[in-house]
Amino acid sequence: MKLNRRDLLKAAAAAGALNLAWPLSAGLTPAQAREAAEALGADYDPAPFTLGVASGDPRPDSVLLWTRLAPEPLAPEQDLPEIVEVEWVVAKDRSLRQAVARGAVPASATLGHSVHVPVCGLRPGTRYWYAFKARGVTSRVGRTRTAPAGRVSAVRFAAANCQAFHDGYYAAHRGIARENVDFVVHLGDYIYEHGQVGGVPEDHVRDHEGPGIFTLADYRRRHALYKGDRSLRDAHAAHPWFLTWDDHEVVNDYSGGAGGAPLMQRRAAAYQAWYENMPHRDGGVTGGTALPDPEIHRVRRWGDLLELTVLDLRSHRSAQNLPDGTILGAEQKNWLKQGISQAPDAWHVWANSIMLSQLRRSPGGRYMFTDQWDGFLAERKEVLGHVHSSGLEDLVVITGDWHSAFVDDLRPDFDDPSSPVVGTEFTAHSVTSGAYSPDWNKANGPVMGAANPHLQYFEGNRYGYDVYTVTPERFSAHMRVIADRRDPASPVSTLTAFHVDRGTAGSYEDPATKNSPAQYRRD
Amino acid sequence: MNLVVNGDAESGPGGTAEPVQDVTGWRIVQGGPALISYSHGGGYPTAADPGPADRGSRFFSGGNSPRTALLQDVTLPERGATGRRAVDRGAVRYTLAGWLGGWAGQEDGVRLSVEFRDAKGVPVALSVLGPVTAAERLSRTALVARTASATVPPGARSARVLLVFTRAGGTSNDGYADGISLTLDAATATGRGPK
Repeated sequence: MKLNRRDLLKAAAAAGALNLAWPLSAGLTPAQAREAAEALGADYDPAPFTLGVASGDPRPDSVLLWTRLAPEPLAPEQDLPEIVEVEWVVAKDRSLRQAVARGAVPASATLGHSVHVPVCGLRPGTRYWYAFKARGVTSRVGRTRTAPAGRVSAVRFAAANCQAFHDGYYAAHRGIARENVDFVVHLGDYIYEHGQVGGVPEDHVRDHEGPGIFTLADYRRRHALYKGDRSLRDAHAAHPWFLTWDDHEVVNDYSGGAGGAPLMQRRAAAYQAWYENMPHRDGGVTGGTALPDPEIHRVRRWGDLLELTVLDLRSHRSAQNLPDGTILGAEQKNWLKQGISQAPDAWHVWANSIMLSQLRRSPGGRYMFTDQWDGFLAERKEVLGHVHSSGLEDLVVITGDWHSAFVDDLRPDFDDPSSPVVGTEFTAHSVTSGAYSPDWNKANGPVMGAANPHLQYFEGNRYGYDVYTVTPERFSAHMRVIADRRDPASPVSTLTAFHVDRGTAGSYEDPATKNSPAQYRRD
Repeated sequence: MNLVVNGDAESGPGGTAEPVQDVTGWRIVQGGPALISYSHGGGYPTAADPGPADRGSRFFSGGNSPRTALLQDVTLPERGATGRRAVDRGAVRYTLAGWLGGWAGQEDGVRLSVEFRDAKGVPVALSVLGPVTAAERLSRTALVARTASATVPPGARSARVLLVFTRAGGTSNDGYADGISLTLDAATATGRGPK
């Protein structure tokens, strides 16, 4: 019988049992906490591979495989030897009979018994299946794909962002798992750091497992809670992911470049837990980094069709609203500008966690949020000015954070109508994280449209993800939305699509869906 | 044997609060550190402040940068009681230790970490110490001892030691470090689990 979680939550609330089971009460042992979590909707793969498997950072000859051993996923310490040997296998078939690579790696308690295996010697543009084995148990089988090399006629990928556990089930990830995509980009706010929000089940379908998180044990537990949603594990197991992060992987609106010792302790704990729980291949650009500070920014190519630039807008940023402030940090900015100068003829996609376009509250009014690029004006102008002066064409920026969908023209100077359009920014709906109310969106969509001449479209009443289809001639963004984030199996539909034609700056909406609901569209 | 070169800040240029361009044994990857004499004065740690008993003459600080980072790559020994064979049996433990501190009630600090890597450079173990908060120093100018120990994972071939000084405010980056060490010991029991 299928568990109806919402009814179960209501029944538990009516019986006065909710505070014993969910949110997880402080007196529970890890095993009891897991049992309580499972009874109310979280579930896990069989131990020790409770958190599933994943792959990431696909290259033409290599992909990174990940898993983490956590027999009791919500326990601060796992009942495991300090070092556990984990075997892995990569095969050409789902049944793993045609193995092409295999090996064994140590999973150390110091890294939360996670393993990160860069498998090399693979064939470009090829689908593979993989699995792990430890302590006599074999994990689920994951599927991945290497990047192609040479001439490529099409690529299809998805982007997800902002997945507050308490705000809904991951029907969007269920949709991503079922999409026929080459890879997935996660744009950040993978977890949230705050404590319980309450209001279950009427206002929230579920809740965090405890108070705000600060220590390595806290962040490990929070990541494990989020991976208790099967759809997230399914999306990881179905496709290779590229990853960046935003603020809530550590704490709201933080600046990572420097700060006081308490924040730096917290940041290190959060960064380490993020690494332990993600299919992230560390290092490669500067050669001067090490954990617990993962190096996220990188450039990857999907044949000759697409150049993906992954940006890290948190680790190196200064405070907001400084004349000489930086969101990239000097080193990453110089690296990005050099990449722009040397870019090949291809679609250029930037994975950008937080909005690049200017967003005023009202005509001539203040910025909505200066935690986004609006708090780093000089650097934005420098970077987009460099895009223009370098003659870079076919730039598409994909963005998260806002919990609503926007389509913007990118200009070096957003306040100057004569400033040229140098690219398009697609800001995607969130997976679950709450947006503004429909009333706010209805009232403010037109206001934002009037205040921001580069804004082409705004829709804030829905949740989901984007799928991008790319050919040499056209880049298309398909806004995939779910019907109800309170339903873990909510169906997915396409709200609308926008296209960018190769060699032509600016986007246009697909005529077939131009009458779809939105709170602003520029006609 | 301490595998970290110049973990005590005693070698190479320095002696004042002025940032240096080179640090013996270390690679400066960000900012500019200063190697300050305990006799320098000016509010910096002195021989009388809490710190290592055998503190020598100098300590590390973050200079004047908001973030200063020093890095040192260590190749693990090929042979001997803590060599590759022993490591691959899970029979070697490491200990990372250092004295980490800051100034009075300020929250400038320094973090010490070691990442063990396999032959391909993949991280296989990690220990992180600090930064020490003002509360942990009882709001005194002080360096306090921090240590971590764990099994060197089979396959580990190198270690990257990282010192990151961070400034909470003001001009001077008052994260202080001294007595940095990474040592290996032959362990009698293996931590390696069954397949």
